[in-house]
Amino acid sequence: MSSDFSLFERHVDALYRSALRLTRKPEDAEDLVQETYLRAYRYRNRFKPGTNEKAWLFTIMTNVFRNRLRQRPAPEDPLDAPGTDFSIYDQLRREGMPVHLMSPEEIIVDRGFGDEVKHALEELPIPMRMVVVLVDVEDFSYKEVASILGIKIGTVMSRLHRGRQALQKKLWEYSGRPKARPVAVGAH
Amino acid sequence: MGDHCEQTMRNLSGYIDRELSDADVRQVKAHLDDCPPCDKVFEFQAEMKRLVRKECCTDDAPARLREWVRQLATEKPKPAG
Repeated sequence: MSSDFSLFERHVDALYRSALRLTRKPEDAEDLVQETYLRAYRYRNRFKPGTNEKAWLFTIMTNVFRNRLRQRPAPEDPLDAPGTDFSIYDQLRREGMPVHLMSPEEIIVDRGFGDEVKHALEELPIPMRMVVVLVDVEDFSYKEVASILGIKIGTVMSRLHRGRQALQKKLWEYSGRPKARPVAVGAH
Repeated sequence: MGDHCEQTMRNLSGYIDRELSDADVRQVKAHLDDCPPCDKVFEFQAEMKRLVRKECCTDDAPARLREWVRQLATEKPKPAG
């Protein structure tokens, strides 16, 4: 009955790249996206025209993904201890880097923190990874993410906060824990 | 770190993610204009967000998956896999 299924077609890249972050494997990502579209097709009459079709597709995909995890339980990623605040910026400042004189690009790109973002993201525990992907990569609002994942907005915010910190911690570790390079900061 | 700094840091994610009320946005903006150390933290965290997006947007769906979805959209689905 619905002839406007093509409306959903345009989100295939977004679904695929997120599926790849979740499954970490191209063949699993492709399979996840196919099942997502098959379900979307089967239940297309439940979609309310005029509502956010991208959010609807992501709701289906995250549900399929979580069901699969339950069937094939992967070893649970250890959650980073909550409550330990971490940011690359603070860490470098503590080591004596003149971060206040550097641009964000100088800090992140020049020191090589940007090279392994995907890898770092894929190592995050899944609940945090989902929220970071949905907010930072797919640009969903906190409210949309809460609805997609069926969790509270407060939970979205705390997972996002911990996820971003854990991501920076991974990037910090990959970069070989750069040691402070004492820099003469001006002559005054 | 003053009260304003602490409050701004608490609201920083919401500010970066455009999730604050207009009143809170004005408050954060005013503080960042006045406080270079907080502004540097803001710039850094905003750049991190941009970086995650940029790095993760490079994987497009394979052509055969795109084609498969297109066939589904024209209501001629084939079995998956």
